[in-house]
Parts: sequence; structure tokens; C-alpha cells
Amino acid sequence: MLQLKRTPFHERTSALSQAQNWRRWAGHIVLGSYDLGLDREYWGIRNAAALIDISPLLKYRITGPDAAALLHRVTPRDIHRMSVGQVGYTGWCDEEGKLVDDGTIARIGQEDFRMTSAEPSLRWLEMNAGGMDVRIVEESDALAALSLQGPNSRRVLNACCETSLDGLKYFRVADNTLAGCKVQISRTGYTGDLGYEIWLQPEDALTVWDALLAAGHNYGIVPCGILAMDMARVEAGLVMLDVDYTSSHAAWIDSQKSSPYELGLDWSVHLDKEGYFVGREALEREHRDGPAWKMVGVEVDWEGMEKLYAAVGLPPQIPAMAVRGSLPIYNGTTQVGYASTSTWSPVLKKYIALAHLQRPYYQTGTALSIEVTVEHHRRTAPARVVKLPFYEPEWKKK
Amino acid sequence: MNSYDAIVIGAGHNGLVTANYLARAGKRVLVLERRAIPGGQAVTESFGEDWTVDSLHAGGMLRPDIVRDLGLNIPAPAPQAFTAHTDQGVLRIGPTLTDAASIESIRAFSAADATRWPEFVAFMNSCAQMLDAVYAVPMPRELPHVDLRREGLPMAKLALRLRRMGKRDMFRFIRALPMTSLELFEEWFESVALRAALASVAIHGHTLGPMSAGTGYTLMHNWLNRGGLAAPQHAAGTGSIVRALTEALLAARGEIRTGSAVQKVLIERSRAVGVRLASGEEIRAAVVFSGADPRHTLLALAGERELAPEFSWHARNIKMRGAVAKVHFRTDGRHGIAAGTHAVAASLKHMERAYDASKYHEIATAPYLEVSTRGETVSVHFQYAPYKLKSGDWASEGKRLEEIALATLAPLFPALAASVRGSRVLTPMDLEREYGLTEGDVNHGQLAMDQFFFMRPLPNWSDHRTPIAGLVLCGSGVHGGGGISGATGRNAAKQYLGGRVG
Repeated sequence: MLQLKRTPFHERTSALSQAQNWRRWAGHIVLGSYDLGLDREYWGIRNAAALIDISPLLKYRITGPDAAALLHRVTPRDIHRMSVGQVGYTGWCDEEGKLVDDGTIARIGQEDFRMTSAEPSLRWLEMNAGGMDVRIVEESDALAALSLQGPNSRRVLNACCETSLDGLKYFRVADNTLAGCKVQISRTGYTGDLGYEIWLQPEDALTVWDALLAAGHNYGIVPCGILAMDMARVEAGLVMLDVDYTSSHAAWIDSQKSSPYELGLDWSVHLDKEGYFVGREALEREHRDGPAWKMVGVEVDWEGMEKLYAAVGLPPQIPAMAVRGSLPIYNGTTQVGYASTSTWSPVLKKYIALAHLQRPYYQTGTALSIEVTVEHHRRTAPARVVKLPFYEPEWKKK
Repeated sequence: MNSYDAIVIGAGHNGLVTANYLARAGKRVLVLERRAIPGGQAVTESFGEDWTVDSLHAGGMLRPDIVRDLGLNIPAPAPQAFTAHTDQGVLRIGPTLTDAASIESIRAFSAADATRWPEFVAFMNSCAQMLDAVYAVPMPRELPHVDLRREGLPMAKLALRLRRMGKRDMFRFIRALPMTSLELFEEWFESVALRAALASVAIHGHTLGPMSAGTGYTLMHNWLNRGGLAAPQHAAGTGSIVRALTEALLAARGEIRTGSAVQKVLIERSRAVGVRLASGEEIRAAVVFSGADPRHTLLALAGERELAPEFSWHARNIKMRGAVAKVHFRTDGRHGIAAGTHAVAASLKHMERAYDASKYHEIATAPYLEVSTRGETVSVHFQYAPYKLKSGDWASEGKRLEEIALATLAPLFPALAASVRGSRVLTPMDLEREYGLTEGDVNHGQLAMDQFFFMRPLPNWSDHRTPIAGLVLCGSGVHGGGGISGATGRNAAKQYLGGRVG
């Protein structure tokens, strides 16, 4: 019988669950939300500190003399330029320059890396490791992970960690001790806020969880499900596999595939780096010609929404969580793209969407319209292209 | 500046053919050979004082057009008889195949077979000619897409050529390719002796048994390379071919450096720009041809780091699986073996059992052998001796090959054992280490159904190019290769000189 796995924090998370709102994530069950609504957890992320169980993330430990060379080859990032203690976000591509998956790569030591991914990646890594002196170990189950996100997250950690987090810069990782347990803490996250991810042994899970909740008590810590995180990640303009793009390994047709340029990840493609990497030729070509599509932010005009709803005698209706449904986007009456995820942004008080638009409609400021279903009727509301991220607090990188 | 128009890796017959074509076209060519002598598989070399041996192939011939194009001075090989020693008796087919004596030899086993024999020979000759034409045309690059201008016309010509075989032979040809030799011969002949004799040629050099699919094709392939059943032997050894190629190359101002193992193809931004030798020396060139097998060329010389993951995965899976070994006996001359090619092929089932052993990584204890002599030397082609052994290793098992060969030959050639004064065994491991044949595969990749024509060495990579621009395959592992014919060496050079690869 198929049995979804429980995370090492299950004993605590399940006890706190009010809504029994379980979601599937990489073969595990995790809580979508603890409450019936998402408000408290969302505001935990934006105003205080939210504790999120992210153990289902797929994790790979890559060690050996060719560890850097392997990741340098697999990803478009210049891995050789990464210093020990640095973390890099990147997508990785097939030979046609289309994304296979995305995740973070942490350089733990000169020859020691941890890579996270959304989908199983062991075979892809091994296929690329031919002729290399490298060891690839999946540590998805061998490593538990928590994400602590929000403006108070550093204070909470400083209250329970042996080493202060004040010196840990954005996208860096360091060893630490939390409630007597050896952990690694990276200043990373999936919310676009100040935040940290804590990597720990599964047997320490409950100790660390309890210590964080205790330390966070005075800082408004909130156990938070993945649905509030989903809203936050849209505000931060971060993509999600299978929602905002399809892995080229899973796509049925070519048009379902996306390149890093099409997802606006230009900055993570280092064409000036040395040597071959998977997809290099295709990416160089696309860089030269410019992408045919691009993922950008779209803000829906609130007054336009009001008018649509006023016509049927209602105030604007907004979804209570991020919507993972494709919404057509038009230039006049011609469809020029679609939104893959849309959400109400509580912090911005705006209805926003991650939109995939054809050239030239992805230029910032372009006025378009997006489909809105008003009382079972399909309407369009005015919208305009904006830069990503939608929201970036000044403390995120400070 | 240490720089050439072209570097050719390996001074085997194909590498030398490529180099000759290039040199004649005015290119500055350097051939690099890791061994101390040129020749590759076509080598005739010294295995001791006054003892020179055709190490791997007892004969061979380049395609006549190559000899013509390059103005090669190769003495024509002497016509040889083919003698099959079966458990039903000895069958002897003369060099012209259909002479009265040959037909009489068959009639001793079956009158009906003797009557059909000339038709079969004509059919096989027709098939071989067809293959020869196919082997001169690099296959389309991205099937099912065919570049009409570049690939369409040659393919259309091939189709026409096929049609010209006549309706009956065209279908017979197409049908025979994937057949097992057992089924093919059952349709033609009733004599198990004749079936066994022909089957031995079908499996020669291939890790396939007479009951393997595709041995209809390998029979045609070997028939083409031999010009019939017997190996075309040269009075001065197979190395005559190499000597002629070497002389012609030097005359055309080409260079050959022996004792110069290429360690790596130098690659800059996915383009080959030269090679680095084991000595550390770097030599640059506008194009690099590799006569080494595709797996070694792609995975070791170019390196997997330069290749797309799917591609190198496919390259790793090119089937090599050599199962051929050689045993050379130096005798006092009184070995009592007549000239020509002797197939020790008791029966078709016997050979299939010998093949079975190799499937299970065992040395065949009742092997199929092919014996030929040159002066006092008796050379034995031993099948099957699989590269990977279930138990033991080739460092110690070589001696067993010699014992098995002698024991198998003793009843047929009673004078042999007493005449032996020395021996030299070449195991599949020697073939790999000394002659650079990955997994001891003399064909640079098995001529199996999933690796032939447009799938050789890999689907859509049968036109000599590699993912590395400027790195061109000219060895046996490409479409047209397998055996000593020079076809791939010629095709590679023509592809390059025609501006289609490189």
C-alpha cells in the first residue's frame, strides 16, 4: 500500500493542527495550514517569525575532488566561484537549455556541497558524474529541515543558538549548536523575507522544534503551513516547479518547457564561466536572440476589479490563498500569455500574479488585462507588468 | 608553431586511409600512433626473432576504390580455399566458390545443395555489393528528418541501387538482414555441414551465435570484407596494406609519429583544437580525426565532462563485448596444415553452444576456431573468449586458450602439436591494452541490429561527427566499419573534405 511519509516533526505539527489541512509534498504529508485560515501564519512570516517544516525537500550531498566540477557542469552557475559557506540558488537545464529543476547549492566545504531540489535528482546527477571522482548521496530522509522566516527570525535564533546569527550574511551557511544539537543554519528561505533554514539530524527534530518555539515565544513565533509560504513566495517572485514551470523531464510537449531566461532567472546563468555545462550552447543562443517568453509580475488594477464586481452588486472577491490555476492574459482581445500563480498580497493590499508573457509584452509597465471570473462569468480586469519581486523588505538582506 | 591542418589519432588502416585522402587534398596531416609501429589491427609484427605474425587478422583488403583513389601499391592477395571441418566431414570450397571441385565437395553432402550453391553465391555477392554501396554513404543525421539536398540524393541513389537488385533479391536481402543464420541456411540448404561452414563465416569476429538475430547481416558483412568465404591472405602479411598506406602517406608529405599516445583531445568551448600526448606535449590542429573506437574516443579522449549527459550515457552503452582471442603457434614448419582458411565448425549447434559460454562470461571449451598458416606460423582465431570472465582473469587464463585450441585442433591436424616450437596468445585483455580495442572488440562496437547503419555508433551520429565540433570519427565504429576495408576512413575524409563535418 502506498504510504505517504511523515516528517521527523510530525509528532509536534500534527498535535498543533486545527484544520487537518494536510498536503502532499514529495511523498510526505505536511500541513497546508494549522488554522482554518491563513492570516495568522502569513502575518507570522511578514511581521514576526514563522516556523515551517520543510523536511520533504530533496537533498543531496555531493563530495569529493570533482564535487564542484559536477555541479559546475550540471548547473549554469559558476560553482567554482562560490566560496566555502556560500549558498547559491539556481535552476538546471537539459541539453536544450530547458529547466529540469531548481534549488539551492550550499558549499559546505571546498569539496563538499549540498543541493536541494523539488524532484528526485539522483539519476540526473549520476548521469552527469561520468568520469568524475565524486560521491553523490541522497540525504533527503537523513536530514530534517526547518525554515524560520520573518523579521524576528534572527532574534529567535540568537536566543537559542550557541553562535550569534548576526554575522551570517544573506545566502551563507554555517555550523551552529541549537539546544545542544549540532545544526547547520543557512540564511535562505522561500518567502523573500529575513529568514533562515535549519538543517538537522532527524533524531534532534523535536528538541530543536521545542527550543525554537520556546525561544520564539516572546517574538510572536507561529508554526506555519506551506500555504501561507506559498503566498509569500509569490510576493517574493519565486518560482515553483510543476506550478510555474514544468520540468523538461516531465513535459509532454516542447512548449511546456521553460528556459531560465523565460523564468527571469537570467542572473543565475553565468555564460562567462569556464567549460562545458549542460545546455550551454542552447542558452548562449537564447541569450543572443532574447527569450520568446518571460515570466514577470503582473498587478491587477484594484479599481478595475471593483467595477467588475460592482456590476453584479458585490465588493471584489479575493481568493483566500494562492491560486495555482492558469489565467489567460490579454493584450486587447489577443491572448499574449497566462498567469501560473495568482494571489492576494495581504502586505501589499494588491492582487498579484506570476505571469508568462510573450515578447514584447513582458516589458515593465505594459498595460494588459487578466481573466477574472465574476459570479460564474468570465471577465477581464486591467493589469500591468511590474518588476519582480513584488515585495522585498529592507531587512531581507541586511 | 606546432600546428597541423589535421591530426589523425591511430595509425590503423582506417586512420591511414583518412590521412592519405587528406594529404592528397593538400592538407598538412599528422598521424599519431600509440604503439611503436603503425598498423593497428592490420599489423604484421614481430613476436620474436625472425617470427613475424599477422597479429589479429590473417588477411584483409581495402575497398578497390580506395586503392585506386590513393594509388596504393598493394600486391593482390592470393586466392585462398575455404575448408570447413565439420562433424559430418570436410567441406572444401575453392577461391572462386563455384568451381566444379567446390560443387563436387558440396555434392558429397547433398546433391540438392550442390545445385542451389551457385544461386546462393550469386545472391550473397549481390548482397555484398549492396552493402558496399550502403557503406559508402554516411547515414542521414537526424532521422526521420532527411536533409534533401545533402542526404536525400545519396539515399535516393541507394534506394535505386536496392531496386536494381531485382524484386526477388531486394526482398531476400532485406529479409535476410535480421534473420538468424540458422534460419537463413535452413531455407537454402539441407546439409548440416554446409550450414555449419557458412555459419562460421557469419559469426566470425562477432559476439553472436548462429542462432542470433542479425547473423544474416553479419554473413553479408564478412562476405563483403573477404570477397567470399576465405580470408584474403597476403604473401607478405596483412601488414602489406599498412606498408602501402604508410609509403603513400609519406610520399604525400603526411607525417606519422609512433610511440605517441594521445591522452586527451584538447577542447575549447566544445570545439576540438588539438591533442595532448601522454608525454604532455600539445599539438594543435584545425580538425582531429579519431580512428580509435567511439567509446574510447568520446569517453576517454574527449571526456564525459564535455558531453551532454544523455549522449555520454548512450556512449557508455555502446555494446563492445569482444569475445575473440588469437593463438599463434610458431612451428618447425611441419604442422601439416594446408594453405587457406580452415574453419573448425563441427556443427551449427556446436557453435551456438560455444557462443552460449560467452554469454555467461565463460571461455568456450569447444570453441569455433579459424586456422590459417603463413609459412611456419599457424594462427588461430579463437571464439568465444569473452572479455569479461565470470571467474579468473585474463592474466592467468591465456594459457588455457592455447590448451583448448591445441586440443581442439589435434584430431584434425595430428602433426601440429609436435611441430610447435613457441606460441603467443592474445587475450581480449591484450586486444584492449595492446591494440586499444575497448573490451577487446575488434569491430569497435558490435555489428548488432541495434547498432548498425544509421545507429552506428549511435542513433543519429552515423555521419562521423561527434558533439565536439572538429572531432571526427574515422575508425571502424562508425557506419560502414567492422573488418578491414577502409570504408570508414575513406568516408570520414570525404565528409570532411566535402565540408559536411568538422
